[in-house]
Amino acid sequence: MPRPIAVTLSLLAAALFAAATAPAAEAPTRDEYVATLEKVCKPDALATQRAMKGARADIKAERFEAAAKKFARAASIFGGTVKQISAVPRPEADVDRLARWFTYLNRQESYLRKITEALRRDQPIKAQRLTARFIHNGNLANNVVLAFGFDWCSFKFSRYG
Amino acid sequence: MRRGAIVALLLAALALAGVARGERVQRGNLIVSLDGRFAPLALPRDRTAPVSVQLRAGLETADRSVLPRVTQVELGIPGQGVITTRGLPTCSPRQLRNTTSARALEECRPALIGTGRMLAQVKVPHQPPFAVHARLLAFNGRIHGRRAVIVHGISLLPPTSVVLPFLIHLRPGRFGTVLVAHLPATLGPWPRFARFEMDLFRRYTYRNERFSYLSASCPLPKRVTAGFFSFAKATFTLQDGHRISTGIARSCRAR
Repeated sequence: MPRPIAVTLSLLAAALFAAATAPAAEAPTRDEYVATLEKVCKPDALATQRAMKGARADIKAERFEAAAKKFARAASIFGGTVKQISAVPRPEADVDRLARWFTYLNRQESYLRKITEALRRDQPIKAQRLTARFIHNGNLANNVVLAFGFDWCSFKFSRYG
Repeated sequence: MRRGAIVALLLAALALAGVARGERVQRGNLIVSLDGRFAPLALPRDRTAPVSVQLRAGLETADRSVLPRVTQVELGIPGQGVITTRGLPTCSPRQLRNTTSARALEECRPALIGTGRMLAQVKVPHQPPFAVHARLLAFNGRIHGRRAVIVHGISLLPPTSVVLPFLIHLRPGRFGTVLVAHLPATLGPWPRFARFEMDLFRRYTYRNERFSYLSASCPLPKRVTAGFFSFAKATFTLQDGHRISTGIARSCRAR
């Protein structure tokens, strides 16, 4: 075998061996996981509050299109947050619980988008029904991860207008 | 009734602790819960109408260990809820100290605005903690010129009574009306607030006009039949200075 090819194959084998024997990244503890997620959630929760400011007054004044824009912005922020935090490695002992939590979070995003659409279509009663489900689903999400002690990552209706 | 009994008081409990259902928040080992409702659900859009309010709040520890001491309780309700005390008789804490419920009512029945129950955990050194159940009466009052809710608590076993004033503050923000109670150090280190339930409702006549202690509206546009609002927020301040709070949202129907 020509010498350059032999050297290349040797280097490749060595690299593969190193990768195979490298220690796997350790799963975080629950406290580490919460701290990581809260850093992501906090600015987004504050952005949501700013985006949703006055939304209830808009609905009260039947400015549904204006309210829809705010809900759309909140849905976008929420979706971005969920995408970021879902990629964070999870504590091994909490994998199943967090899977349930993310199911609720995905549902929350869906509700926000549906509320937006209902307001855009001038369907306030439909928006109102969806809001009831949004609040209920948010509370269910909170209950699943109660012991985690989330603050910024927890659902709080008061942040929405 | 001995002042020492007051120490074992439930008023510490008023701070909002307990195993109530509703929304819950956990910080570390401590869980705070808050639940509540008002009636009637159907309210006028453009004016206030009499309402009754029920609130239940509680503190519990995740590992069932002894509850921490609470030094202050704040209960916030939205600004669109109106508290009216015009012409309503008042009662002072001095009238209620060391009294039974019957005696408290003899003294202050015209000022009665609510009733309730409380559960406290009493932790005496070298003994397992025990529960104290109390009956509560709430009276309209004034403390240093500020409106207040004077809560009288009485327990039969062990025989204890407590009087805790909640001063009413008006603040900017979503929860414009805040009831604040400071749990005095004289209550001692033993009583720990666990659970609190209070129904507030009072209608009265003053100068031939009917008033309600609590009134509310459901200010919604014509095309919307129901709406959601932040109904109440409970905040507990612990002895170590930490604060824990939770809020609840409820809906009203417009008529």
